[in-house]
Amino acid sequence: MRYKLQVISIALLSLLLSACAGTQSRDTDPENDPWEGFNRKVYAFNDGLDKALVRPVAVGYDFIMPDPFQRGVGNFFRNLDAPVTFLNQILQGKVTQSADTFGRFLINSTIGLLGFFDVATRMGVPFYNEDLGQTLHKWGYEDSRYLMLPFFGPSTVRDGTGRLADSYVHPVGRAIHGRNEWGYYIVRGIDLRARFLSQDAELERAYDPYVLMRDVWLQNRRYQIYDGDPPLEDYDLYLEEDLPEQDPDSRQ
Amino acid sequence: MNPPLRFFIFLLFFASSINVYAQTEGDDPVSLVISTTSQIFAEVDENFKSYESDPASLQTLVRTDLIPLLDVHYSARLILGRAGRGIEKEKVDEFAEAMISLLVNRYADGLLQFRSQEPVMVLPQRGDLNEKLTRVRTRVKLPSGGEAPIDYAFHKTSEGWKAFDVIVEGISYVTTYRNQIMPEVQEKGIDLVIKRLTSGELTLAD
Repeated sequence: MRYKLQVISIALLSLLLSACAGTQSRDTDPENDPWEGFNRKVYAFNDGLDKALVRPVAVGYDFIMPDPFQRGVGNFFRNLDAPVTFLNQILQGKVTQSADTFGRFLINSTIGLLGFFDVATRMGVPFYNEDLGQTLHKWGYEDSRYLMLPFFGPSTVRDGTGRLADSYVHPVGRAIHGRNEWGYYIVRGIDLRARFLSQDAELERAYDPYVLMRDVWLQNRRYQIYDGDPPLEDYDLYLEEDLPEQDPDSRQ
Repeated sequence: MNPPLRFFIFLLFFASSINVYAQTEGDDPVSLVISTTSQIFAEVDENFKSYESDPASLQTLVRTDLIPLLDVHYSARLILGRAGRGIEKEKVDEFAEAMISLLVNRYADGLLQFRSQEPVMVLPQRGDLNEKLTRVRTRVKLPSGGEAPIDYAFHKTSEGWKAFDVIVEGISYVTTYRNQIMPEVQEKGIDLVIKRLTSGELTLAD
């Protein structure tokens, strides 16, 4: 049954990918997004899946669930990420901060009833978010190609790889690896999707929704990588006649 | 994972009241952010009822207080980029005016909606940038309990420091709209884009 499901989903994926082969593939950002043509196809696939299935479910979830409960579910998922953050803080040499993450995980998993209540924040324990993608950046893998992942959405080669590796550390990820247990990812996905419902109209109205999502994601990712203090944009470049060309193949 | 698109509510939280770290009077960017936002908030607080029944008068107030702080023409040129080449200054100003009207109205709406916000915190200035370009970092409490980090980019003009960009959770208003508006202007022409902005068909943020 499970294998059947996998085969069906792969067939569905390839069908949808070929169906949207005609979508535009302009080079809007050759430096960060040299695979734009491919990425746009995956985007179209995700968008189709979203409209047909994910969004309606998320709307229902958002409608049924009382806000405090929804917050609790969000806290629960966030708490489960703590071991990943902790390990990556160690890998980045942020030892003091890793102690906060450790304490936060202990407090929220116990007093916070398995993480549903974020007691640690009320106690003043700071929250950090680290993952292997950010660690790799710190280690020198700074520029990476933008990569739109099916189902998971915006990423880069570096961050997608990091994500996969992180799942071996993640408590739930570890437990369900190699088995076709998608329940956790589905519920988590629905919860995440419900948080973005208010932005749908904006994306819908955008001149180029694909570019809007990419810009917002890449800028926010950079913000995470630099722990909230990235260098300012080089605005002077914006006024120049032509943006400097970079060799797209310099990215991995 | 943080919802990066929280960006789109930034105008609602552009500012409310201000918690002053260093109450220095001056024309440096930090003082400008503090004095302008606290001034607007005090005025809204005093006449809340009348503004609530007459939002247009609040828009006028916000416009009067905020515009002197902004380099609207510069933001417009950054957003237009290549597409702005060869477009006469008047047109760029018209475009800037259309954008700023939308921003002012959003901001005024936000003031009415989120009146009882906790104070905005202005983070201490870091010695990172230079004498011509700097950034003021602030934190705004959200109704959900979280915090939205909102930064303002300032540059020095002949008339002193002016803000030209708002950056929410790392997402720059100028950069993001540049990549939407520049190709649209190139494809359809600036007149049509101005028309879409003023008619409310093309909005900036929710």
